[in-house]
Amino acid sequence: MESRKLLKQGAEAKLYLHDFYGRPCIIKERFQKQYRHHTLDSMLTNQRIKSEVRANLRCRMAGILTPTIFMVNFQDNSIYMEEIQDPITAKQYITDMSAQGDSSSLLMLAEVIGQTLSKMHAGNIIHGDLTTSNMLLQGNPSNLRLFLIDFGLSSFEASAEDKGVDLYVLERAFLSSHPNSQELFNTILNSYQAATKNIKSCKEIIAKLEEVRMRGRKRTMIG
Amino acid sequence: MAAYQKVTHMLYPDTSVTLALFANVESCKNLRKCVMEGTVEAALLKTAMIVDSFQVLVAANKAIHLYHTKSMMTKNVHSEILYCLSPSKNISESFRSFGAADGETSVFVAIVNDAEDRTLKKVTNILGREPDSLDLTSTLSDKKLIAKTYRLTDDELSTFSLLDTLVSRVAAKEIITAGKGQS
Ligand SMILES: Nc1ncnc2c1ncn2[C@@H]1O[C@H](COP(=O)(O)OP(=O)(O)OP(=O)(O)O)[C@@H](O)[C@H]1O
Ligand SMILES: [Mg+2]
Repeated sequence: MESRKLLKQGAEAKLYLHDFYGRPCIIKERFQKQYRHHTLDSMLTNQRIKSEVRANLRCRMAGILTPTIFMVNFQDNSIYMEEIQDPITAKQYITDMSAQGDSSSLLMLAEVIGQTLSKMHAGNIIHGDLTTSNMLLQGNPSNLRLFLIDFGLSSFEASAEDKGVDLYVLERAFLSSHPNSQELFNTILNSYQAATKNIKSCKEIIAKLEEVRMRGRKRTMIG
Repeated sequence: MAAYQKVTHMLYPDTSVTLALFANVESCKNLRKCVMEGTVEAALLKTAMIVDSFQVLVAANKAIHLYHTKSMMTKNVHSEILYCLSPSKNISESFRSFGAADGETSVFVAIVNDAEDRTLKKVTNILGREPDSLDLTSTLSDKKLIAKTYRLTDDELSTFSLLDTLVSRVAAKEIITAGKGQS
């Protein structure tokens, strides 16, 4: 297709801008890795695409914003989805607001992130790759619309362990993308806990998060 | 006949789909008979189940792709459009829920590769009516029945437009309904 415009070249996927019968569309095409075994690779790619689409839809059913899926092409391993208009990644937003010293906007974002992740985990959806780049924002600071994307590593698990690890993955990514932001991350956790109706399971999740943190620390002390 | 839409497939420039709405007809009986006999090749869709022509376009886009990649679940591209629209894995149930019935007084028609609009002209002759504006599609839809058939959640309905919800459901059908018993 000549009308494709390359938007991003990632480690595992290329993103193109396109038009889907009049609607702005993003094509996310996963490509083969040269060094991996061919059959194994196409099985993995196929799995990633299915995971991505399945979790995207499960999130929608739980009332979490995700891009509308237009088409799945298993021939060239691509997903055609709605292009979110004028998005800013949460990563960019945090960087910008920090630079401006706009702490009230940061707090409002942390609230929304905590609430969204609580809803996601209540639906037993594990994102698997939570980072501030995989959250797209629309709207103004007091009325942010948060879209979750990039579900290729997702799974469906009810266990506190998996949810705790999901939060730990975010914490690690968060602190490395945004130095000196432990306090902001704690606000996310507080909002996550406030929004989670099942108090017992929420406590277990946070306990698991703390457990995984400890393990992580030990590992860095030894290694 | 200015009301209908003819769209070229984004991946297969040689393949097109024609979408036409007949909002007020006496019955679908004769037209259905012609489709059964094979003298008219088209998908006849139940208007109650359609909120927008884009919903049908997404299903047709998928059906044509499955046709070209030899991965259809049904015997021809027109029945595949019906199957793609339906959330069910059961083919006859899909036809029952999404196909126009004899007694219905409106019908949404999708025709793949209608050279010189010949099939559309036949349909128009059989129904004795010209196609109506596709903008009327939403006025004929039964939103409650749609929500029930696709098992839409309240959270979903309050977060997204009905159309976008259905579009995602159609595009992801075989992925979200992989195993029997799990949904
Ligand atoms: N639907 C969309 N609408 C607008 N922008 C998008 C959309 N999907 C992706 N993007 C942009 O492209 C970037 C990369 O997308 P995504 O995270 O899905 O791929 P990736 O990170 O390369 O995937 P992987 O983690 O498998 O390597 C996003 O951070 C976002 O800026
Ligand atoms: Mg990403």
